[in-house]
This record gives sequence, C-alpha cells and structure tokens, in this order.
Amino acid sequence: MLDVFRIPFLQTALAAGLIVGAVCAYLGVHVVLRRIVFVGAALAQVSSAGVGLALYIGSNPSITSLLLTMGGVAAFSIKSASRRTTQESLIGVGYAIASALAVLFLARSGQAEARMLDVLSGNVLTVTAAQVWLMAAVAAAAVAVHALLQKQFLFSAFDADTAKASGIRAQWWDLLFFLILGVVISFSIRLAGTLLVFAFLVLPAVTALLLSRRFAEIYVVAVGASAISTIAGLMASYRFDLPTGPTIVAASFVLLVVSWVVSRLRS
Amino acid sequence: MKQVAENRTISRPVGELLAFDHADLGYGKRIVVADLSMVLRAGDFLGIVGPNGAGKTTILKAMLGILKPLNGRVRRTSGVRFGYVPQRQSADEVYPLTALEVAMMGRYPMMGVFARPSRRDRDLVLSSLNQVGIADLAEQPFRELSGGQKQRTLIARALASEPDVLVLDEPTNDMDIGSEHAIMELLKDLHDSRGLTIVMVSHLLNVVVNYAGTFAIVDHGLRMFGSAEEVVSAQNLSEVYGIPVEVAAHGDGRVVLTAGCTCRQDEALSRRLGGSNA
Repeated sequence: MLDVFRIPFLQTALAAGLIVGAVCAYLGVHVVLRRIVFVGAALAQVSSAGVGLALYIGSNPSITSLLLTMGGVAAFSIKSASRRTTQESLIGVGYAIASALAVLFLARSGQAEARMLDVLSGNVLTVTAAQVWLMAAVAAAAVAVHALLQKQFLFSAFDADTAKASGIRAQWWDLLFFLILGVVISFSIRLAGTLLVFAFLVLPAVTALLLSRRFAEIYVVAVGASAISTIAGLMASYRFDLPTGPTIVAASFVLLVVSWVVSRLRS
Repeated sequence: MKQVAENRTISRPVGELLAFDHADLGYGKRIVVADLSMVLRAGDFLGIVGPNGAGKTTILKAMLGILKPLNGRVRRTSGVRFGYVPQRQSADEVYPLTALEVAMMGRYPMMGVFARPSRRDRDLVLSSLNQVGIADLAEQPFRELSGGQKQRTLIARALASEPDVLVLDEPTNDMDIGSEHAIMELLKDLHDSRGLTIVMVSHLLNVVVNYAGTFAIVDHGLRMFGSAEEVVSAQNLSEVYGIPVEVAAHGDGRVVLTAGCTCRQDEALSRRLGGSNA
C-alpha cells in the first residue's frame, strides 16, 4: 500500500502534509480551547488574499501574504469597544472580504485559471523541496517559541484577570499567540491551501480533546491524527484520483468520528 | 517547604497596605464608583457589600492594579503581595487541567519566563491544596470538581503565590448554605491562624456579617465604611438601604432581617436597590 510514497513528488507532498499537519494540530489545540476557531479560518483567507495580491501586483507572495496576515492579526485581536456589535462579527467581515479579494486579485492577475484552485483549495502535489525545508524551519520555530512560553499563554487564556492581577500582561501574550498563529497559517497555506490548513487547525485538536485529558497526551494524539489522515488521504487521493486536500480532510473527519464514538463508549 | 511558609508569616507587613484617595473608578469615560476613599490595614478582614452592579468587582480590580483610577489615586504599599481569587466562572473549564495544574498558576509570576515548575513550586502548591483541604483532589480534572472544590482550588492558587492579602470576588456565589459556611470558615481560619489580610466581595450581607471586622457598603460609591460595630446596626442599614432593617442576635452571631420577606433578606435588599447583573 505504502508503495505510492516511492514516487518522488508524492514524497515531497507527504513531507509537506506531515509538517503543516503537525504544527497546525499542535497550535490547533489552543485555537480550539481559546474558542478562536473562526479566527483561524479568517486568517487563512487573509493569507490567500495576500497571495492573490502578490500575483496581481507582482510582489513576493510569501512576504505580501505574511504582511497582510499580520494586519489581520492586529485587526482581529483588538477588542472591540463598541456595544452595538460583536468581536465575532468583525472576524466574519474579515473572512468574507478576504475571501472575495483573493478571488478578485487572482481574476485580475493573468494567472487566474492556473493558480486559482491551488491557492484556494491547496495542492500539496506541486510543492517543491525548498518550500518543505522552509516550512519545517517555520514550524519548528513556532512550536519551540510556544512550548517555551506556554505558562504565560496558558494563564492568559485560562483566566485573564487573575493573570493580569499577578503581573502577567495577558493582552500581550494573547497578541503574541495570534502572531505565531498568523505566521504559521501564512506559510502553511502556500503549501496546503486555506481549506486544508483550516481543517488541520480544528479536526485533529477536536479528535484529541475528545480522547485525552492531559496536555502532553492531547498534543501527541492531535499530531498523530493529522499524520494518519495525511498518509491515508494521500494514498486514497492517488488511488482513486481524487483532489488531495479535500481527501485528507475527509480522512481527518473519519478519525474524528471514530474518536467521538470511543469517547461516548468510555463514558 | 513549611519553613518557607512560616517565614512569610513572620515577615508580614504592618500598617496601611492600600488606600483609595478620592478615586473615581470605571471603564472608558463611564464612572462606576465615584469618589472612593478608604484604607486597607494589615490584619483586616474587609467585607465589601452591595447590590449586583454596584461596582464591587471594579473596586477589586483597582485594588489589584488591573484597573487604573480615572481620577484620584490608589496607593499600594510597595512589596505587599495580593493573591486574587476571581469568581470561579472566570476560569475557563474547557481547559484540560488538573486541580494541581490550576493551583500551580499561582507560582507562574515567581518563575522565570521560560522556567518550568521546580520541586519547591510543586511542594508549595501541594501545601496550599492541603491548607484548603483538597490535597487528595490534586490530580482530579478541575472541570469535574464541585463548585466548592473549584473555589478551594482557586483559593489554593492564590495561596501558592504566598500573598499578604487574599482578595476574593463572591467566593460563595451559587453555593448551598453548607458549602458557603465551609468556605467562610476556611477564610476565617486563614485570617486568624495564618495572619492573612482578607478582602471579600459579596452581594449578600448575611454571608459576611459574622466574619468581617470591617465593612464597606457600596452602591456606585462608598455609602458606609467602618468596623462591624459601627456599620452593622439597624439604624445604619435602614438608612443605607432605604427600608426598615433589623439586626438580630443569632447564636454567637447576628443576622440581618427586613420586614415582610420570607426569602433571604439581603437578596431582597439587592433587588429593591435595583441591582442589575452587570
């Protein structure tokens, strides 16, 4: 069965999927616990709008996407003072307009037909080895920074007032978490597309939170679930000639359903 | 580890720990508590009482330095450590943390930014859980604890930071009278035997009436401040709440009553004062 991974371009795709899956699954645990799943979706769209903008104006896609995503991070992390609307609605506005701009920029870029699907739904099959190495470095840095500072991130998210009362600047730690998330999303969507990145942020984390009660265990299960769905999804997509990203998402969902059944049987 | 805790007890600060000096407190341009002047002294057990929405939590946040006064001053004596126990609903139960891990957060500010809990941190936290009577629940998931056990966990977290002052926001909210009594007895013990200064907010006067030595009656400003003897009298409370109030002896303590109500008296007061749930 695993013979398909002898094919070079599938090896690169596998490496890309495993790395993006692992870092998104790790951060996704906190995205789900912080109740900011929708922020992940919106940032992924903002990142792809950045790629679209770069193709349109002829700038560097990585840098343009990163800059736009940092703008999104700043906008989404500002606590709206208005009582007439909600923070969530602001994120919804960002999601909608970023999705529209991504398509509009691509439509004007001259590479519309060729790149549209890759940018929007991702295509790990066209990834180069250099991209994989860069992604590996970004992922390692993101996980290292988060793991080293996890006390502050955890306290700020779990109980912001008490964290502030004991001198931990919760709002700055929240912003730093968003920045790490933004950087990871911005690099990940270049390899895997908005759909797969968003799915990796949510499904493995939910799978793990259903199965485990300890952080250490939850990280292992989440990263493991993303790896299994990447391998299974790539094999199925090759064998049955299906689009790769959505097939991996479907595999991820199967794992989630299994873990839900297991958690129900246990309780 | 005992040594450490005892050393802190010996070196507790004396005199004035904190003072509000004509402070206006609020958010943005909105003043919630106007012109507040009061002093917290070492060894006090201060009960801040008032209806919901009267600004009690706002006063606590200003005490802790989370909220800067809009006008006037809040003087905090340097070196005094405040241990905050928030309303237990403010701890997000979705997090898969044990009671020990939650209580460990009390040590976080004392550790280096990158440091992990040391043996001493762990010993201090276990000793704090022991002090509040839930050492056996250390490895239990926080979200599966009862209301009283969660409250004890949050008190242990504050104790783990080796505070001089324990600041509690409605610690007995939504509890049955048995659990409420147990928490109040725990606070009394921490005050009497460990020499902790205690500041406690409650919208129920009867909860604190037999525990606090000093009272601040608050309703968008300080209505009355003084010792239990000065404040808790039928005449004073009738004046503050604007309805006939009686203070009756009950066992070794007192209860606060209003005429014509069979429910908990001070709940009725809160309602009559038009408190919202803000």
